[in-house]
Amino acid sequence: MSGPPCVLVLCLGNPDRGDDGVGAAVAALLEEHLPPGVTLMARSGDMLALIEDWAQFDAIVCVDAAAPMGEPGRIHRIDLAHEELPRDMAFLSSHAFGLGEAVALARTLDLAPRDIVVYAIEGACFDGGAPLSAQVAAAAAPAAERVRAEAARLQEQENHA
Amino acid sequence: MTTKTIKVDYLARVEGEGALDLHIEDGAVKAANLRIFEPPRFFEAFLRGRGYMELPDIVARICGICPVAYQMGAVQAVERAFGIEVGGQLRTLRRLLYCGEWIESHALHVVMLHAPDFLGYPDAIRMAEKHGDVVRSGLAVKKAGNALMCLLGGREIHPVNVRPGGFYRLPTKAELAPMGEELKRARDQAFDLVRWTSTLPIPDFEQDYEFVAMRHESEYPITGGRLVSSRGIDIDIGDFENEFEERHVPHSTALHAMVKQRGAYLVGPLARYALNSQLLPETIQSLAREAGLGPVCNNPFRSIVVRALEVAFACEEAVRLIGEYELPEAATVPFEPRAGTGFGCTEAPRGICWHRYDFEEDGTIRAARIVPPTSQNQPSIEADLAAVAGSLVEADDDVIRDRCEQTIRNYDPCISCSAHFLKLSVHRS
Repeated sequence: MSGPPCVLVLCLGNPDRGDDGVGAAVAALLEEHLPPGVTLMARSGDMLALIEDWAQFDAIVCVDAAAPMGEPGRIHRIDLAHEELPRDMAFLSSHAFGLGEAVALARTLDLAPRDIVVYAIEGACFDGGAPLSAQVAAAAAPAAERVRAEAARLQEQENHA
Repeated sequence: MTTKTIKVDYLARVEGEGALDLHIEDGAVKAANLRIFEPPRFFEAFLRGRGYMELPDIVARICGICPVAYQMGAVQAVERAFGIEVGGQLRTLRRLLYCGEWIESHALHVVMLHAPDFLGYPDAIRMAEKHGDVVRSGLAVKKAGNALMCLLGGREIHPVNVRPGGFYRLPTKAELAPMGEELKRARDQAFDLVRWTSTLPIPDFEQDYEFVAMRHESEYPITGGRLVSSRGIDIDIGDFENEFEERHVPHSTALHAMVKQRGAYLVGPLARYALNSQLLPETIQSLAREAGLGPVCNNPFRSIVVRALEVAFACEEAVRLIGEYELPEAATVPFEPRAGTGFGCTEAPRGICWHRYDFEEDGTIRAARIVPPTSQNQPSIEADLAAVAGSLVEADDDVIRDRCEQTIRNYDPCISCSAHFLKLSVHRS
């Protein structure tokens, strides 16, 4: 990839669907607090469109809500260089075309950034119109700090690549 | 007596949630039920008591894939009820926005949802391993449609710029110009996509459909016209309820629409094409011939070619409309609300989407009725399923299941819209 190395922080989720809004909450906390040159993007819609959005970047940090696993607010770090995101065998509908499928398709098409790190925050409630649950809201600030540090690390790494 | 039941408990690569039950008795298909179990969404009920200005943005929420169809039907109905005439460049911009929806919806279905069926892949990701150029190209075409939706609608999903009487904000010629260049590239990619779909192994299967679509005197129908059918219907959209009815069926939360006199009918790309192919630009008609299409196509599996053709048309039409665009003097036609009933009907990507609203004196909505394309196509989907499964009764259940799922995907069904989605159950006896 030509041009200066670049890092994207991509916050995903629908703020009108309870804890799915944690991506947007983290994005709000990161606004103007990311290292210079790091791009911040918040998306709630078309995951397929992400593939072209991130093709121009060398590294991305994704923030997204995770399905409940018994510990709401827990922050999972998944480095896709070493781990896979859970992915259905077939996406059930275009509405359910999730991050895992988008990454898999981008990799197949050679449109995926070299480094992808996902911060997945366990949710509890995804009801329409519901606010963030207390544990998830409390996790937004520490998640934002870890994402900021991760973006700085990736940018440093890309600068020396 | 031997009975057999084949079930698909959750249909993949369609919009929404449904299932299919096939009942086979003594080697014959006795029932093919597309069970839509997505909960009813009650949009028509909660529109009652809302203001006419809220209408386009509420109904846009019915669907993330075809919100423009709902917005356009709604504003048409308001405008017809209040006696508003929206013409000139405002009408052009609405047709242009609708082109964006056709492009993004059709490109998604053709490449990501439907094409893997013909080549034996479980999904587009596996297909991309061998057909990466096609998938890349399909994504680029879809992106052009999304960009058009963004520019004219304010955002790509659930746009917010359409209002009764016109738009909230008009694009400048300078804003549209780069979009025209992106659409020219998308048009070239869409032409190649049509040629590629014409090489797919299409099952040999035909049905004797009654096609129903809009017809406009001078243009391939998108935003307006009369309602016509291949068996003689030719009516104003306000007369829809005289010719068509919706029926409750026990196995579906979506109503089944029928021609009162005859039963099942077909809406969508095959119907539009059969009833209007002569209105396509010569470049698109020539492309259709190159792709092996005659003036009428009765093979639902070949709808992938027609759908791709409509992508090419929508790109070409969008380029033309942008080239002819002049900024209107006003974004909205002035009007006053009044009591009355209004009708709207446009060609959603999946077929006609019909609306009727009754308004109070101040424009408050007293009653609403929306007939989405997928509920109109349900009886035809079930007839196709019975015929397809009937030719495969001796085959393994997996073979029947795969072909039935493909049959349903021929329709690009938007189950979320119609319920108000797919499990396949085959019951053999």
